[in-house]
Amino acid sequence: MTDALMAVNAKTSRAGADLLRIVRINEEIKRVVGVSFKINIMALNAIFLAKRAGTAALGFGVLSNELRVFSQDLRTCMESLTGLIHGCVDEVSIVLKDIRFTRLLRQTDQLTANGSVAPVLRQREIENDQHERRLSSLRKQLKRALEDAFRMVELGGVLAKSAKIEAAYGQSFAPALAQVSGEFDGIVEEIRDSLESLRRSAFFTGH
Amino acid sequence: MKTTKTIFQEGNHKWIAIVRDPNKPGYIIDTNEYLVTHGGRGLLLDPGGAEVFPAVFSALSTEFDPSLLSGIFASHQDPDICSSLALWLEFNPQMRCYVSWLWSSFIPHFGGTAETFVAIPDEGIDISLEGLHLQAVPAHFLHSSGNFHLYDKIAKILFSGDVGAALLPPSEDALFVEDFDKHIRHAEGFHRRWMGSNEAKRRWCERAAKMEIDMLCPQHGAIYRGADVQRFINWFDELQVGIVAA
Repeated sequence: MTDALMAVNAKTSRAGADLLRIVRINEEIKRVVGVSFKINIMALNAIFLAKRAGTAALGFGVLSNELRVFSQDLRTCMESLTGLIHGCVDEVSIVLKDIRFTRLLRQTDQLTANGSVAPVLRQREIENDQHERRLSSLRKQLKRALEDAFRMVELGGVLAKSAKIEAAYGQSFAPALAQVSGEFDGIVEEIRDSLESLRRSAFFTGH
Repeated sequence: MKTTKTIFQEGNHKWIAIVRDPNKPGYIIDTNEYLVTHGGRGLLLDPGGAEVFPAVFSALSTEFDPSLLSGIFASHQDPDICSSLALWLEFNPQMRCYVSWLWSSFIPHFGGTAETFVAIPDEGIDISLEGLHLQAVPAHFLHSSGNFHLYDKIAKILFSGDVGAALLPPSEDALFVEDFDKHIRHAEGFHRRWMGSNEAKRRWCERAAKMEIDMLCPQHGAIYRGADVQRFINWFDELQVGIVAA
């Protein structure tokens, strides 16, 4: 096998692996979106509970509102991540097609003595590089968006822990508020684990 | 690389067959491509699949400047007919692809833009190549529901797509049919299964019998010439097609 052919094969399998990784990332993001929707519902319930508890749960009510805003911000953040993921899927698909066309054009160039393929092959390789650069840029944007999401979840974690503290002042409502704030904390941890696994994806680390 | 064989020449009017690649992987069906040239321009008939593009392009380049191709004629929509379209367009984005209207929105999945396609109506059209008039002849349901053959009345050649095709063993890869009875055995199973309609077949045979044909050029197998052309039409007329014992 020639070096060029080995390089093409390696590039193809990398692009194929990238496509699988992006699909996995997308599945994880869908899970986070689902969980953030759950936080929104829980925050609404917590707001009603705080209202029933009255002055004893004022702080808890404020934090529930904040958690609701957090869940909406998280969903918006995940939507932008999904948009970037779709962009990556598009680009990886194009890169895969480019790889196939380039392979066929290289074979053609080797078989054709009059050099008529060389300009087309050069043009194709310029376009391939443009797609590679676009994919690389999307990869960086996705990584940055993921870091933003992670910071947001850190904030969510602080809110959930503060809600736990506030729940202790809820007098007769304390057990109910503690249960709700515990669930908040659990869910935020779940999101953090998801984002942590995304951070470790070879889609970001393997390049 | 495939080999080229000029099967007709009269001044700058040529028919070149592009055939038989010894390096073709066995899992890909063998195809014949034909190039018609006239007045310095060319029309490529059923340019083949993407995977055979290097072999076809390099062979064609030995005879003709690929950038002077005006167009591609696609007898129907199959991948072995024109999945190489996008690659040909890399060399000449202005190239036109003539194909049945039925497939003119399907084939763009292989490549091309809205400007690339010339949709052929069911009754067929004349395709002009620098003053040479080639006739797109209806051959619907043989085997595709939107199917055309291409007739050159000057060269008396009918490009017949899958009609006349034979799946030849490696030991029998001559360009022309030499022994009709021996050859037709390799065509029988193909026609019985790939041709979908006895009525369509009968109409095609009537039409073809009225044409002056010196060479019948299928997309797979060997070329029929002389008396073998009428022999093939008669054989095909008798054959029961479009039936599966399942």
